[in-house]
Amino acid sequence: MSKSGIAIIGIGEVPTRIMPERTPWDILYDTCMDAVNDSGLDKNDIQGVITTSPQAQPRLTSELAFGKLPEELGLEGCRDCCIVNAGGAGTSNCLRLAGQYIESGVADAVLVNHVTVHSTISVPELIAFFGQAGVDLQWEYPFGTTYNIVMGLMANRFMHESGCSPLEMASVVTALRSWATLDPNSIFYGKPVPTPEMVLESSIINTPLHKRESNVLADGGCAMVVVSAERAKKLGKPAAYKLGESARYFSGTTVVRDSDKVTNGFKVTAKEAMAQAGIQKQDVSIWNCYLAYPLAHPIMAEALEVAPEGKGGQCFLEGRMSFGGDIPWSTIGDAPGRGHTGSGVSSAMYVETARQLMGKAGERQVKDCRYVYQNTAGGSGFNNIVTIWGREPNE
Amino acid sequence: MSNTENSIDMTRPLPDVQPWSRPFWEAAKNGELLVQHCMDCAANIFYPRKYCPECWSGNLDWIKSSGKAVVYSFSTAYDMVEPRFWEDLPYTIAFVDLPEGVRMMTRIVECDPEDISIGMEVKVTWRKLNDDFFLPYFRPVKS
Ligand SMILES: [Zn+2]
Repeated sequence: MSKSGIAIIGIGEVPTRIMPERTPWDILYDTCMDAVNDSGLDKNDIQGVITTSPQAQPRLTSELAFGKLPEELGLEGCRDCCIVNAGGAGTSNCLRLAGQYIESGVADAVLVNHVTVHSTISVPELIAFFGQAGVDLQWEYPFGTTYNIVMGLMANRFMHESGCSPLEMASVVTALRSWATLDPNSIFYGKPVPTPEMVLESSIINTPLHKRESNVLADGGCAMVVVSAERAKKLGKPAAYKLGESARYFSGTTVVRDSDKVTNGFKVTAKEAMAQAGIQKQDVSIWNCYLAYPLAHPIMAEALEVAPEGKGGQCFLEGRMSFGGDIPWSTIGDAPGRGHTGSGVSSAMYVETARQLMGKAGERQVKDCRYVYQNTAGGSGFNNIVTIWGREPNE
Repeated sequence: MSNTENSIDMTRPLPDVQPWSRPFWEAAKNGELLVQHCMDCAANIFYPRKYCPECWSGNLDWIKSSGKAVVYSFSTAYDMVEPRFWEDLPYTIAFVDLPEGVRMMTRIVECDPEDISIGMEVKVTWRKLNDDFFLPYFRPVKS
């Protein structure tokens, strides 16, 4: 086996919906069984289970942390399991740990998964969680800040420096929703795609963020089966091979976060991960960017040099990142297009990366998809993790 | 909705103070804005830490800020804040840069939100939460 070489060989997912009657355990059964069935392995071949920690669901978190999932699923070959929490960067760490399980001989096949059900959490609990998570309780929270406001602060500065217009910013939503409307797992599946003008007509939550630029909290879950690259190749089925990785830490609180450090981190992580994978920018078939809010997408497009400097917003407005455009981008529509499932949107994006490389993305399938850039981040953007995935292993 | 509302905390949140940041909040009661300062490497530090984040020295002291600042960025909230902040809507949260080389989160007050801009000069003004806590807000410097 190549060093830390892993591949995703099976995926399972349920539609993201607001569905209180669908319990977390409903979702866990369906997603995990689908992923194992998709991999072609037997349930008892799964030797490790690593779950992305659900946010704001303490009961479920402790059930998963204390080993209930392999027991529920009857995974008789399971040797160990745990949960991992780095917010939206959690699943990236699950995959790293899956690589370690495999390399150290703990497990040959690892199930990585996530589930979140927001719709049964009480309103006070949701408010308390999302009001305070990732916000400093001494230097930020007493002033009345929120996640939305943090994004507004970032966006206003970016628009000031780059000249990106409100219409250009709004067009990011249009691009993301153009993918989402074709995605059966999206909360906006089959729903009309709002024009940038319609986005701007929606009410302001906080400047410059409009209602249609924010996220809808929803329920969802997904799972993946991970094996060594060597084993995936032997199995000879469609798979997604992890080829490169890079990460940078920025800051836990937004008040000390340096925007230049973030932008530079976006650039450096992309370059390092692509170099490790032995590919170049023009080899990337899909830029699968996870940024939770549309407002950060033009910043990322410029940092990745997919859009010229100062033209990030314009590229979205021209439809280049939309379905049918020449820059396939966040093909589940990121959180604004998918529906927000806590740390699960980034899990879903890994499943999408694998789905595209396996050629199973249906109407959204990007032609001749060979390499996918994928990023994740945790909290209010404390870090950026980049991975490069390919449909063939590196020689 | 009334049952749900009853269980929502409507009290004003107070800063969750660490022992080493107490002098900041003590000085705030007297209208003084302090910035933590490392006596070994001369770094100005915000927010206050137990040890200097630059050199890990514990030899930390405080300098008095002029209270002047420049708006780095801002966002005016109209909706979707916690119920405990509803009565303040609309309000403007900002990052402001102090000449001491540090950036703080604050609110911009005493002006129409429409008149706030990046690069605007502001000055500290204190908002009393209770007898123990005064928050450093900023208001435009009148030209
Ligand atoms: Zn120092």
